[in-house]
Amino acid sequence: MGDKSTPLLAVLQLLRNYNLKGTEEILRKEASLGDVEYENLNLPEVEIASILTAHHTESDPYSYEFAYDSLKKFVENSLDIYKHELSTLLYPVFVHMYLLLILYEHPEHAKSFLEKFSIEQEDYYQEDLKKLSTVKHKDQIKGNELAQIYSTNKFIVQMSRDASSQLKRYLHEQKNSTVIINIINNHVQIDIHDGPGRSLAQVRATAGGLLGEAPRTENRAKVYYGLLKEPDIQVLPAPIEDEEEVEETPDKPKKKKAKKENIFMKKPKSDPNAPPNDRIPLPELKETDKLEKGKALREASKRVQLGPDSLPSICFYTLLNSGYSAISADICDDSSLLAVGFSNSNIKVWTLTPVRLRGMKSAEKLQDIDREAGDVLVRMMEEKDRDTCRTLFGHSGPVYKVGFDPFKTLLLSCSEDATVRLWSLQCWTCLVVYRGHVWPVWDVRWSPHGHYFASTGHDRTARLWATDHHQPLRVFAGHLSDVDCVQFHPNSNYIATGSSDRTVRMWDCSTGIQVRLMTGHKTSVYTIVFSVCGRWLATGAAGGEVVVWDISTGLPTASLPPSHSASIHALAFSRDGTILSSGKLFYLFIYTLYCTYRKSYCY
Amino acid sequence: MGESDLAYGSSFSIDSMKVIAESVGIGSLGDDAAKELADDITYRLKVILQDSMKFMHHSKRQKLTITDIDHALKIKNIEAQYGFIQPDSLPFRFASGGGRELHFIEDKEIDLSEILSAPPPKIPLGVSVRAHWLSVDGVQPTVPENPPPLSKEAQKQESVDPMTKLSKSANEDATGKPMCGKAARLKASESVHVKQLATHELSVEQQLYYKEITETCVGSDENRRAEALQSLACDPGLHEMLPRMCTFISEGVKVNVVQNNLALLIYLMRMVKALLDNQSLYLEKYLHEMIPAVSTCIVSRQLCLRPEMDNHWALRDFAARLMAQICKTFNTSTNNLQTRVTRLFAKALQCPSQTNNDTGVGPSMANMKEPEKTPLASLYGAVQGLSELGPEVIKVFILPRVRWLGERIEGALTGVGGADRLAAGNLKQQLLKVLAPVLRQLRQPPDQPEDYKRDYGYLGPSLQQMVGKLRVSPAGGGGGGAVAVVTCTPPLVPVTPPPLVTTPIHVGVAKTVGSYTRPGPSPKIRVSVATVGDGGAAAATCAPPLVSVTPPPLVTASLHIPKTIESVTTRNVVISASPAPQSPVPATPPPQKFVIVASQQKPTQAQSAGGSGHIVVHGSQPAIVRSQNVQSVVVTSGPAPGTGPAQKVVVVGVAPQTSSSQHHNQLSQAPVSVVAKPVFARAAMGPSAPQPTQPPPELDDLSHLA
Repeated sequence: MGDKSTPLLAVLQLLRNYNLKGTEEILRKEASLGDVEYENLNLPEVEIASILTAHHTESDPYSYEFAYDSLKKFVENSLDIYKHELSTLLYPVFVHMYLLLILYEHPEHAKSFLEKFSIEQEDYYQEDLKKLSTVKHKDQIKGNELAQIYSTNKFIVQMSRDASSQLKRYLHEQKNSTVIINIINNHVQIDIHDGPGRSLAQVRATAGGLLGEAPRTENRAKVYYGLLKEPDIQVLPAPIEDEEEVEETPDKPKKKKAKKENIFMKKPKSDPNAPPNDRIPLPELKETDKLEKGKALREASKRVQLGPDSLPSICFYTLLNSGYSAISADICDDSSLLAVGFSNSNIKVWTLTPVRLRGMKSAEKLQDIDREAGDVLVRMMEEKDRDTCRTLFGHSGPVYKVGFDPFKTLLLSCSEDATVRLWSLQCWTCLVVYRGHVWPVWDVRWSPHGHYFASTGHDRTARLWATDHHQPLRVFAGHLSDVDCVQFHPNSNYIATGSSDRTVRMWDCSTGIQVRLMTGHKTSVYTIVFSVCGRWLATGAAGGEVVVWDISTGLPTASLPPSHSASIHALAFSRDGTILSSGKLFYLFIYTLYCTYRKSYCY
Repeated sequence: MGESDLAYGSSFSIDSMKVIAESVGIGSLGDDAAKELADDITYRLKVILQDSMKFMHHSKRQKLTITDIDHALKIKNIEAQYGFIQPDSLPFRFASGGGRELHFIEDKEIDLSEILSAPPPKIPLGVSVRAHWLSVDGVQPTVPENPPPLSKEAQKQESVDPMTKLSKSANEDATGKPMCGKAARLKASESVHVKQLATHELSVEQQLYYKEITETCVGSDENRRAEALQSLACDPGLHEMLPRMCTFISEGVKVNVVQNNLALLIYLMRMVKALLDNQSLYLEKYLHEMIPAVSTCIVSRQLCLRPEMDNHWALRDFAARLMAQICKTFNTSTNNLQTRVTRLFAKALQCPSQTNNDTGVGPSMANMKEPEKTPLASLYGAVQGLSELGPEVIKVFILPRVRWLGERIEGALTGVGGADRLAAGNLKQQLLKVLAPVLRQLRQPPDQPEDYKRDYGYLGPSLQQMVGKLRVSPAGGGGGGAVAVVTCTPPLVPVTPPPLVTTPIHVGVAKTVGSYTRPGPSPKIRVSVATVGDGGAAAATCAPPLVSVTPPPLVTASLHIPKTIESVTTRNVVISASPAPQSPVPATPPPQKFVIVASQQKPTQAQSAGGSGHIVVHGSQPAIVRSQNVQSVVVTSGPAPGTGPAQKVVVVGVAPQTSSSQHHNQLSQAPVSVVAKPVFARAAMGPSAPQPTQPPPELDDLSHLA
């Protein structure tokens, strides 16, 4: 019954939209439509448009094949400088033709159309086509995630001005078939740039997003990718010097001091790209945290520069008897603690050093402690209660991510049960349950300065939280599919997210707007990491490829091709920023940065 | 809808819908309805599967599990499917009938009461963390956790075709061993030179390891030796120090043969065994060192200081088995290994005059090239070495020499000199053991003593008796016979220690002819059953083993007698003396081949050290005896006493109560092997059960000897 009434309903709604009541009345009478249907008039805008404009071709499913063929021929016969850019148009046209065929209930034609032309589409779209091919009925379009995305969003195609005028001329010639013109008008946004057409490699580098490439305007905003001026530089030397003077023999301090100053000098005094320190309010450092930072800084001075000539040593921790249950792990900054999240909802924390894990004393006993004593932190811990492994219970689903805070006192975890939990590593209990995500939470990360953390999940949002608020401070919406990973910028002002829609986005924490949209991944982005200097962003995807992005421009600077099809689940920069390592199932690769050449260390 | 395209997946067929509808009580489902349903269900299932893939990825798995699907259902607000278990594989069964085909999963009914009454399942092991170095300065250390730097295939390839290594040196990175920049530069400069085949530098760690291992292997601490051998047998990445190991063994054998140091020779052979067992090593390049060393230990004239006392026979047996293993593993048509080894042994069996004429016999035979006769010990070794190589070899090389060997034995047995007499006895038993099965195949019954005497000389009558017994036994295990006692000794091969039991009890096995390795299920148990006296031979005496070892409780169950043995054995009776169950374990009724006898609870008897705490059990059924605090157990099975000849099994188990506890610590390390000894034999047994009177005079405990 839907066949005839759908266009009529569309016309009716159009008339109502334009407030032409008389005509509407007459049409209703003439079509003898029931009241029920009339009342339920609520077709989406886009659908009305496509129904109305394509009405006359609706009866002829064969025209689609001809139209697509002719567009293909046009692309193939165009000049080489336009060809590659124009060819990006083929996929959206193809997809929408398929959806139209389904919409007008020609499932057989849709199927043959899909079979005939799907092989010609880019290999990174095949996965989507497979998902789309499950849609075989008009009703299924509404419920299907992917079809919804395609019909409610515009596919973005970048092309040069010349290429677009070529396209316009071609479209003008197509008098007899308006199918393509309609699709391009309704579902494709052509982003015109000045300058020559791009080469195949250039086009391929940024193609692959669920909705095509990122429009140029998206990445215009300025991003302060510089590092924060370390507030502790002024504060820190004091405790360090105290300590070192105690430790050191009096004949050597000068030399050491000079060296130490050197480290501090390295930090740029005024980085033009750095955000102001008060752009994001950061928590005051506690005395103990300062000690930790000082320790880390001193450690840093002893670092050996890594590179192809001096490769790192790697310690490999193996979880025995875990079966398939261990699904996430984190090692704290000084490599003394290991946390593992399990699919049976547990979290286990191991100590990797001889120092045992101790619990805090009970409240009554804490009363008795002299709070002014210098070793109050030691005294408040239970003497007898020490262990090499602690288990944290609380989640009710697989724990997809665990993370230590920068000061080793807190642990964050996120789970399938849609919650994020904050745990204390002193009481070994859950402190806060953050509810906000509706569906499973895939990733959670601490800000490098603590206090803030970001989480992402199946609900296609990323959220920014502070540990002292039970509601998110910001909700970053925009991804078209699951947001699989998140990472804080080293200066805590931005977060970057990677998603199953094959895009990487960067968001400003203070304003909540999207500042970068980066396309070029061909598969879901599973892991994301900022370089130590803050300028580069490395992402790893399900297909095994690693892309390094320049945050200042939002363009890919290096793409490391997959050497195995296994997906990448972990990426890490060395602390001096010269080595990037990627972890996938059974393999570990180490790349040296700043040269595209890969040292193939496959462990 | 069944004929859907391959690229975009399949969908449910209308038939499936109808079958499913029937299963829920809807008898007549129209075609149109079924098609609608099939389309819809296909779509929904695919969407759910796409979602569950997300959960799989985030769980860092490559295998979709049922929990993933449950989670995917949950985010769609559909109730999860309960009660679906997840075995490793779901085999689809196929059934057809009435023109219909059906695939289904077998779903067994489970009896809840059975589960409730069953003992609770074992608690799974807890998760634990273990650390090792994956890479030290970019170089992967050779520890067991890391994959071996050079795979066995690569080693094999290299030894077969050395050119591969040269051609590969250009792209060293491909072998998985990274080079740091310095080494790479170094390499580039010397790429003109022909690269040496073996790496000659050992890292400091490797040197330490080598030192530690070699010292421990020949040291005095048995527990540490077991660990060292375990390391040799299991660690990957030993191939770089393999040349040194082989030289160590080879030189060690040379020195210790001269000094007649039996213990060290045994340790060295155990090292060889460990190296052979190592899955990541390919020894072919080093056989020129290994084979002389091993063959020396088989046929050398003298291996110990007191040939009349020490048990060098076990070493010869062990080395012979090693040689057989080497031949089996490395024999190719190009190196003709087995032929050469066979020739080596065969020459030892030649007449002295012939031996003299030969010159290139091989290093191990050097001491035989004397004008006098080949010593009996060497003959024993040669016979043992040949017999391990298979029945064909026995037929061709030993059988023609039986007459001559018989003369030698006769001479020695009648002559003076305890050592010679012992050697001759051993040689005779050995010959009988290996020849009887071959002769049984070779000759047709009836076996006339005269024929045997004529064909085989001195050994003829004994052979005839053995063959006669062999012919009878597989049919029904009739006739009494020789009995062997097996004592458990710490093994030649370190194995995982069996679960401890409180009272060590010993064990006997009855008579088998042949010696074999018995593949047990989890603990490897080496059982070598030595010779068996012929009917009516004098009973030997047994001594309590100094090192008492607990047999693993599973001894009885784990007996898989290799097929080759079946034809050989006259009757195998195996007795386990594990003090396990309260009630007699119903011995799984075995085929006639062997009778399983477990132990049975007996009241504790006051024991003196050498007393007579024997249990004698008679029964027509295999008896199950549990003994505690018993020195020996004698079990006979067969008709009731007095009614006829009983089948006898004698078990001599000794469990010195005093020593049991102190052995426990040791036992946890010391694995088990069993060496059989002939005790006594009687062809037909009277009603009175045999009483093993005295402990045997000597031991087969190699570690004790050492």
